[in-house]
Amino acid sequence: MSSLNVTRRRFIGTTIAAGSLATGAGPSRAQDAPRRGGVLIVAADGEPRNINPAIVASNGVFFMASKVIEPLAEMTPGGGFTPRLALSWQGSADGRLVLFKLRPGVSWHDGKPFTSEDVAFSAMEVWKKLQNFGRVVFKNLEAVDTPDATTAAFRFSAPTPLQLVENALPALTSVLPKHIYAGTDIAANPANVKLVGTGPFKFSEHRPGEYYRLERNPNYWDEGKPYLDGIIFRVMPDRGAIAAATEANQIQLSAFSAVPLADMARIGKVPGVKVIADGYDGITYQLVVEINNARKELSDPRVRRAIAHAIDRTFVTDTIFLGTAKASNGPIPLFDKVMNDATLNPPRFDVARANALLDEAGYPRGAGGARFSLRLLPAPWFEQTRQFGDYLKQALRAVGIDAQIVNNDPAAHTKAVYTDRAYDLAIGSPVYRNDPAISTTVLYESGIPPGVPFANQYNYKSEEMDGVIAKAASEIDPARRVALYRDFQQIANRDLPIIHVAEWTFITVARDSVRNVANNPRWATSHWADTWLSG
Amino acid sequence: MRDSLLARIVRSPEGAIGSVALLAMLALALAAPWLAGDDPLAIAGRPLLSPGFHAHLPLGTDRLGRDIFSGLLFGARSTLTVAAAVMVTALAAGAAIGACAGYVGGWLDEMLMRLADAAQSVPSFMLALAIVSVAGPSQPVIVAALAASAWTGPARVVRAEVLSLRQRAFVEASRLSGRSTLAMIFEVILPNAVAPLLALAAIIVASAVIMEAALAFLGLTDPNVASWGAMIAEGRSVLRTAPHVILAPGVALAFVVLAVSLVSEGASKAMARGQT
Repeated sequence: MSSLNVTRRRFIGTTIAAGSLATGAGPSRAQDAPRRGGVLIVAADGEPRNINPAIVASNGVFFMASKVIEPLAEMTPGGGFTPRLALSWQGSADGRLVLFKLRPGVSWHDGKPFTSEDVAFSAMEVWKKLQNFGRVVFKNLEAVDTPDATTAAFRFSAPTPLQLVENALPALTSVLPKHIYAGTDIAANPANVKLVGTGPFKFSEHRPGEYYRLERNPNYWDEGKPYLDGIIFRVMPDRGAIAAATEANQIQLSAFSAVPLADMARIGKVPGVKVIADGYDGITYQLVVEINNARKELSDPRVRRAIAHAIDRTFVTDTIFLGTAKASNGPIPLFDKVMNDATLNPPRFDVARANALLDEAGYPRGAGGARFSLRLLPAPWFEQTRQFGDYLKQALRAVGIDAQIVNNDPAAHTKAVYTDRAYDLAIGSPVYRNDPAISTTVLYESGIPPGVPFANQYNYKSEEMDGVIAKAASEIDPARRVALYRDFQQIANRDLPIIHVAEWTFITVARDSVRNVANNPRWATSHWADTWLSG
Repeated sequence: MRDSLLARIVRSPEGAIGSVALLAMLALALAAPWLAGDDPLAIAGRPLLSPGFHAHLPLGTDRLGRDIFSGLLFGARSTLTVAAAVMVTALAAGAAIGACAGYVGGWLDEMLMRLADAAQSVPSFMLALAIVSVAGPSQPVIVAALAASAWTGPARVVRAEVLSLRQRAFVEASRLSGRSTLAMIFEVILPNAVAPLLALAAIIVASAVIMEAALAFLGLTDPNVASWGAMIAEGRSVLRTAPHVILAPGVALAFVVLAVSLVSEGASKAMARGQT
């Protein structure tokens, strides 16, 4: 809580201050010595079909599974990495070898020892072959050598930047037990729904529609941890009920803005409840206007630029996200201070300029004031993506573009935009996975076979862009790699095949009794070994 | 006969109150563009303004700063349009099907009435939900989806009337004068069988208003048109902090349904009086 960025999120800051004052809890209480015991009850808003984080690297899965199955390393506040299953790693000069020293004395929840064999198996058979993101990062992984039980040597067939491998550690390297998965159909293994890991908590029970129960792993490698006896993830699809249950102390914590943002100011004033905006920087979401560049009007960069000029980003961050978002300056979030190019100058809100650009592009206003009509498909997965759809329709009306909103359920939206490309404008929410090569360049690269979802569905093709992306993918010198991604951002902002509007994170609502909340940038999707309850 | 029935409805206290309320709502809906701007979805002010503080935003604003008063009036337009269209479609289809079944009889009667049984055996909201989910939410689809279950009531009523009418002497006489079956149904039988439909019409309108709002609440509505159900759905997340967002469309919805129910009550009483 003490690390709250007040200038950026002054609104939440004051809310929390009000909440703390009401209970008389000062920051001094947060320094109490951790207490063992207690079961933490958490609201979960969904039950993913496959909860294996090594296969499905998504936040909905990590939220519960990250307590059971651990990655090689976790993110550290302020940058850098904290060792989890790996103690250290180093890359070779030619970029073809990364050597991991693993933590000794770790055992799986079924008692078998954890060794380098497990890492080698997970990397070759799961991350590289089955995982949504691992297929990109570990594309050139040739073999993993295991000279001894605590050494894993990753050998790549083409130079692979160490920076990329490092950035992939927290989200993409959940290690699975080889003795349970080897020789089976991994995607259909029963352990995908009854997890076995090395983490601080053991998977105990799942009652569909009711809860997931995790219990303390007494043999955890971090002596004395975890502090909690267990965690219960109560399945609560109704968001109004989550706020009420928190106030009644029936649940102690909810994450990912499960309590609606609009309720944030009110619930922050309830005695015993705190609103926390930290702990999500490492899983920053981006609000993006997706553009079908194949549509005649939208193939003209002036039209795309006019759309960018029509959007008031301050309205988006302050009214739609109630201060929990920042205006984007390009495809890489400001949070990534290494990669983000601070000199980027995205189109400012300027209706007159937008109108001038559209006139110049040869689309005069017709009868009724409209220049042309477009289909607009807002992603249905967040309240904010839908609200931004309503806003964008109005913003485009002001510059003479008639946007007709088409609402779909998640399956139909995915098909319309990401498979069939049957849209003109869409609103998407990609997650930045802490390296442009993991989550961002695929949105700009051409030549991705049709039907691969959440890639370049925008019919954008630029040889210059493809060249920079290909060069950066095999550039192993960190400084030159960063420079190439700066070029990438410049081209992206010049061509504007898609428009990055804002980047946002979430809020956690917790009882004051829950301690050590939000103490790393991926907190909601990390281990919680050091979380404790103050009675 | 129809004129006198209308007059009798308006003379009953329920009918009078209901008709006045309904006409008032209709007038407000028609006058929406003059009273509340040209676009109810436009962002008109700061978000979540309370009602009663701003002359040009009498009912305040929602999460995005849209004028709730404007949303109410334009929402009344779409709600009443859909309800009226459902009523007309259901009555026309129901009357035609009921008359054919009753007059022709035999296998056609069997077939049409089993069809009605089938339509009635599915809960009407589930049927509408299924149709709109598959065909996509637009006003014509919503009208068709709601009419798909609403036609069975009128069909049964008209069929029963026709069965009793076809034995009467004047029907027999017209038939002997050489009219075709279709002409018999639409020129002789139907005009004498529609009076009882008036009370049904009000019930169809009331249920169409509620079901249209329920579909919109679930997101199955044309997002480019203001709708009470959608306003209620959006207001849910701010229920605790800004209750006016959900109260305004909720009260409007209750008001219209109440007005229609009163008219229906008046109609059934008027008819009961007419028969004695």
